[in-house]
Amino acid sequence: MSAQESNISQHSTPCINGIGIVFGQGRGIARLERALIRGWVPPELLDLSFFRATGFPIYQVPAEALNDKTFSRKIRRADRLSKMAVIAAADAMADSGIDLPDTARVGIIFATAFGPHATTFKFLDDIIDYGDKSVSPTSFSHSVHNAAASYVASVLDIRGPNLTVTHFHFAFQEAVRLAGTWLNEEKCDHVLVGTADECGTAMEFIASRKLHVALDGKMYPFQLRRMPSSVPGEGSVFFVLSAEPAGNSYCALEVDGSAPADIQVINADGMLPDESAYLNALLPHVPVSAYTPLSGSFMTASSFDCAASALMIRNRVTYPPPVTDNPHDLPLCGDSTPAPSRVACVKCGCGGKVMVMNLSG
Amino acid sequence: MTDKSVVISGMGAISAAGATVRGTLESFAAGTVNAGKLSLFESPLECPVFEASSLHPPRSEISSNSAPQDGDRTLRLAMAAVGEALRDAGLDSDRDGLRIGVCLGTTVACQLNDMAFYRAYREKGDAPMGAVDRYLKNNLADAVARAVGADGPSATVVNACSSGTDAVGAALSWLRAGMCDIAIAGGADELNRIPLCGFTALSVVSPNVCTPFDRDRQGLNLGEGAGIVVLETQKSAANRGVGSPLRVTGYGSACDAYHLTAPRPDGSGLEAALRAALAEAGVSPADVGFVNAHGTATRDNDKVEGAVLARVFGDDLAFLSTKGFTGHTLGAAGGLETIFAGTALREGWIPASPGFANKDDEIPIAPVTERTGIDTRCAVSTSLAFGGNNSALVIERVGQ
Amino acid sequence: MADKDQELAEIREKLKELLVSNLSLEDVKPEEIEDDAPLFNEGLGLDSLDAVEIVVLLQRNFGLEVKDMEMGRKIFQSVNTLAEYVHENRDQAGGK
Repeated sequence: MSAQESNISQHSTPCINGIGIVFGQGRGIARLERALIRGWVPPELLDLSFFRATGFPIYQVPAEALNDKTFSRKIRRADRLSKMAVIAAADAMADSGIDLPDTARVGIIFATAFGPHATTFKFLDDIIDYGDKSVSPTSFSHSVHNAAASYVASVLDIRGPNLTVTHFHFAFQEAVRLAGTWLNEEKCDHVLVGTADECGTAMEFIASRKLHVALDGKMYPFQLRRMPSSVPGEGSVFFVLSAEPAGNSYCALEVDGSAPADIQVINADGMLPDESAYLNALLPHVPVSAYTPLSGSFMTASSFDCAASALMIRNRVTYPPPVTDNPHDLPLCGDSTPAPSRVACVKCGCGGKVMVMNLSG
Repeated sequence: MTDKSVVISGMGAISAAGATVRGTLESFAAGTVNAGKLSLFESPLECPVFEASSLHPPRSEISSNSAPQDGDRTLRLAMAAVGEALRDAGLDSDRDGLRIGVCLGTTVACQLNDMAFYRAYREKGDAPMGAVDRYLKNNLADAVARAVGADGPSATVVNACSSGTDAVGAALSWLRAGMCDIAIAGGADELNRIPLCGFTALSVVSPNVCTPFDRDRQGLNLGEGAGIVVLETQKSAANRGVGSPLRVTGYGSACDAYHLTAPRPDGSGLEAALRAALAEAGVSPADVGFVNAHGTATRDNDKVEGAVLARVFGDDLAFLSTKGFTGHTLGAAGGLETIFAGTALREGWIPASPGFANKDDEIPIAPVTERTGIDTRCAVSTSLAFGGNNSALVIERVGQ
Repeated sequence: MADKDQELAEIREKLKELLVSNLSLEDVKPEEIEDDAPLFNEGLGLDSLDAVEIVVLLQRNFGLEVKDMEMGRKIFQSVNTLAEYVHENRDQAGGK
């Protein structure tokens, strides 16, 4: 066996040691737990001119979740997306309880599907209203996908490698895979891996045209058919991933591991033209759950599933799916489903691609 | 050289300096600087730009009122370079059974910033969805992966000016972890109205042709292009009988954690990235024959970078900025500059650093002022990005 | 002279409002900004990104150009120096 091959075999599974989240129901891991216990809540309804049927349903991060005086000077110019990411990342660090004497040994990988599109459109407003020669440099510098990761680094003073990746369906999965390689190569002792995607009026318009926005405000993740229902959402989730368990450790996390699972969580989020692909991706007889009716539809929401799954493993509890309409008679999680020690988070993308994240405690 | 190195088995480059790697080297040899007036779209801004004029826009893209369809040109630049790189690697056909990953950097192509779409939406509350549909199909790495039938990992790196270097670094990690055997890596970006306005507003764009590291430098010129390398494990290269002498042996990256647009004045982030890359490659600064610097020609970048290069490599370092030949190609820069470092090692020379005339007393070192023979096995390429990211690659030549 | 003082006072007030709103100085009230206090580094603690944003603010609100950031460094020292620059060049530009 060559030295290069032996490099490949010597790896350990990264551990989730801290989680931070901002989502439609607020901020923090305790808020997520309450949401998972409580079950489905109706979305906000917006009065939008291009969606006349009913109010436009949306799970938006509440303003008070982003209003934190601890950071205010450092993020005074930051847009909503960057604020979401800073708060979720800071919360993940705090949740981990890990003392970090050398932040040059901490990396950041940030994953987003659409980046700060609201700020990009604001910059286009500038060009239209004021002309090419009189645009705001602040808007421009915040309209780039890596602005959020830059803020996370400067607010938390994290000086290791810093990367932003974008992909429509699998940004989070690729970010976690890359973080695993950084830990195995000992580039870092910890990696803050996170996601953020936001709503915004132009994006809501696009959603109203491209998605089957739910008139009753409810997503049905087990219908698994063409034109699935969707309720747009937004949020940010960050994980402290480390080479070993430490601090407030939740569980191990691996992408495309082939481990068996006690529960499968599907990310049926209404954003694929046809969700029946999940039927082929599921392991038979293994209980199934889905939390997209709590997070709402946004491309990086599989990070939300990952957070929920980590909580189930650490808390030794099963959270039932918030919406249980089940035309395919899948074995849904229920009151009698034992708490899992292994969860598979399954996500289907375009072209039949499937990625699975395995969590184990 | 450590056993963590990967082979550069193919290279493809397109920019204002040339439509191919060979064409680019001819420009370097002749000292040709293809900066000129903006012709790709209408703009009141009058700074020189570096257009990849070999990639003619289709007639439908040229309009007096709006920018070319955003994102399409970036993909076309990328595919031109991908095609050349795959041919160079002997992979232009028969890729069945090979696990190929795609990791590409960009800044423009990831943004939903089509002006015609947004204007219509703003004015009427409604807009045709063509631009949105194209955007949703064209995540850069994904689109290239589909085009070449690659089914390994796929990620688009959006790290501003260091995207291409970081994409190569990420691909390195993938290959070492066994996630794929071959990776198409690098970056692409088109010349686009949005960053042209934005960088001008940041007061970092020069009204004249850029002069990296020069005492009187006034800022950057935007360019466009794509720089693509085919990387593979040594085992995969041996199986395919690939004989390339070039390797990527180290990658280092560190964030300033300082400011969204200004580099940390003491350059400690860049220094950390450089030292990490050298350590990973198992080489010392004395082993490095030359550096292809980031060298955008902004006051801040060149001052900080020059000081760090002097600190790490010493005052007699041979270095240059090829941005005097290509402009600042944003997401493509790291890919292009990896190629320029590799070809310099292979060909045995670096060109005079274009645009440089007078040493800046605030920078301890000055770039090479004439074509310089290189008899070395080892080079470094550096990138510094808005957002504070600093990255470095070590590229080496093996064999004779 | 009284007219000039009055004009300068109005310009200073407007500048302070613009600084607070355009630079997202959420925890500062316009009236809290001292006329002579340094705007950059100490004092208000503005940075290089704020400096280029002020250039745009001057362009949009007073029709004034700042030719380069070296010139900007001198003009942007305090609200007083900014107001003097606006008053002087606005008159020359012949516009408001």
